[in-house]
Amino acid sequence: MNKPLADDNQQNESSLVLFLAGDAPRSRRAHRNLSAALAATCPDLAPVHEIDLLREPQQAIDFGIFATPALLHIDAEGNRRLLYGDLSDEGRLTDFISVL
Amino acid sequence: MSDTEIAAEQGLVKRPTGIHDLDTVTHDGLPAGGATLVIGEPGCGKTIIGLQILASALERGEGGVFMSFEESRAQILRNADAFCWGPQLRESSRCEIIDGQPMRRAEFSGAFDIESLIAMLDLCVKRVAGTWIVLDGIDQLLRRQPDSQVAIDQIAQINDWCIDNGYSLILTGKHSGNDRPQPDHLTGIEFMLSTILVLSSILVDKRLNRRFRIAKYRGTRHNPDELAMLIDSAGIHLPYADTFNAEAVPAAGKRLGTGIQRLDKLLGGGVYSGSITLISGKPGTSKTTLGAAFVAAAARRGERALLISFDEFARQIVRNVATVGIDLQTPIDSGLLKVVARASWDGLVEEHYMALLGLLDDFKPDCLVIDPASALLKSSGAEDAFLALERLIAVTRTRGITTMLTSLSESEEPSSESSLSHASTLADTWIVLNYQINLGERNRSLSVVKSRGTGHSNQVREMLLSHEGIDLADTYPFGSEVLMGTARLQKESEEAAARKHRAQERLRQQQRLEREISKTRTMIQHGQEELQRLQEELSFEHHDQTASDQETDLHDNSILRHRDPGQGGLDQ
Repeated sequence: MNKPLADDNQQNESSLVLFLAGDAPRSRRAHRNLSAALAATCPDLAPVHEIDLLREPQQAIDFGIFATPALLHIDAEGNRRLLYGDLSDEGRLTDFISVL
Repeated sequence: MSDTEIAAEQGLVKRPTGIHDLDTVTHDGLPAGGATLVIGEPGCGKTIIGLQILASALERGEGGVFMSFEESRAQILRNADAFCWGPQLRESSRCEIIDGQPMRRAEFSGAFDIESLIAMLDLCVKRVAGTWIVLDGIDQLLRRQPDSQVAIDQIAQINDWCIDNGYSLILTGKHSGNDRPQPDHLTGIEFMLSTILVLSSILVDKRLNRRFRIAKYRGTRHNPDELAMLIDSAGIHLPYADTFNAEAVPAAGKRLGTGIQRLDKLLGGGVYSGSITLISGKPGTSKTTLGAAFVAAAARRGERALLISFDEFARQIVRNVATVGIDLQTPIDSGLLKVVARASWDGLVEEHYMALLGLLDDFKPDCLVIDPASALLKSSGAEDAFLALERLIAVTRTRGITTMLTSLSESEEPSSESSLSHASTLADTWIVLNYQINLGERNRSLSVVKSRGTGHSNQVREMLLSHEGIDLADTYPFGSEVLMGTARLQKESEEAAARKHRAQERLRQQQRLEREISKTRTMIQHGQEELQRLQEELSFEHHDQTASDQETDLHDNSILRHRDPGQGGLDQ
């Protein structure tokens, strides 16, 4: 039933997706923390793709993501890395996006 | 509200789980809206409860969602395949199994929300028109939450959502074996949820004994005892879930033969239909033979009889009792008799109990023999053996099955007649078999220690086994001893000789008296004749005297006339 990857992400070299739940405080915080971190480390990066799981719950099953906020990175080989939480731990977030 | 939902007392609405024993102990099911927490050590059967509830729901035409944070969908289905209801989960379109494992491989940075989880569950449960949601291993998700209070709040959030939407939610979580009914990492959750089931396991004699307990079920009656739990191919069982309904016990007045005529006579016509008979005795006192005679007699009456043996195999029993004239093969062939052998060491006492119940359900016997019931005490988990036996007796009583239990005893005295003396209080009739050793012989004896509702003999009888069958013989009380066997036979022949001698003596005496009587009679007859002769003589004598007197008078008158002066004779 669950797919390791959603089909529409196959063609990208590498993609970063932020899963949110409406405008819940933690989701807003994650969005803010991620934007700040990306601005500091790789300002050239295209805007991060965001999916609201309250509006598209099927995506939760397709991506296997059951809590929000969650930051998903799929590299060119299709390897997944997932970081849950409001991304308030700066060290972990920096480490997570350092491969970009 | 669907028709399967049952409005219970105090407004709590329950939904049957479809697991008979679980519905019994919970008094008709789990909350129809809201969470039930199932916690236990690894390997206690938490996942199985969730899967079985879901399978039962599918069976009834309900739907459900199963999400595991510990195992993949393939693993879950593989586990379920071990059960008879497993394939349903794979095949039904009303069942959604979600793999929550990807959570495990993730990293965490700060707290997270579970609204998306709820949104996803909402999507799935509506898609299958479901009533049950199982979140298996919820602790795996929530232990990632840096603040455990947040985790608890989120459980409350899922619980509230289920209450609002009328979903029954099963949450399973591990705990590390201490007594607190809470999953690890979720301290405090036990105060928030109203229904908590605790599963545990202990090793007794190196065998795994599973236990089930309702730690909490707010707002409803329930069975709070820790109960034995078994898992077999049909799923989970709580063998002792059913409560005993004393009202349902019939008190039949009909008596049934035991297969031994003299014993029936001793018992005032046999044992009561539906009663319990305990037969105890040392090894070799023919307990099995008595049991076999009983089932054979039942089959001859056209009743169904079940003989469960913990000692011998079916064929051996049939062969052995045939030598004392008891035919079991014919009723086995006709289907009236079933002989089942079980090994007491080969299972927990609960397993034996459940297997016996299953046999009673399937075969529906009128008469039951368990030989020996004391073997149950040898099986693992024997702390419950008495309980199992008592429950079994309660079941047979309720169903009106006439039951005979045999018990192996080691000691001499009936009062210490084995560990089963406890069970003897439950038995209506208690027959003790024993040996008497004298004059180099070992003779079997039988005595009725008690028989409720029967004026029974207090005498010990000798039990005789022959090719023709079993019989009882009166014994000879001889001083403080009771004579049996050759001693009894000898005593019997001595008695017979004395009787014969006394009879001859009496005959002689009678003949002598008769002779005397006839002699006396002859004498009397002679006397009578003499008497008559004398009387006749006397009467003749009287007659003679009268005639002579008259003659004398006539003579005197004639002389007087002659001397009259007017007449002749003038001599003056």
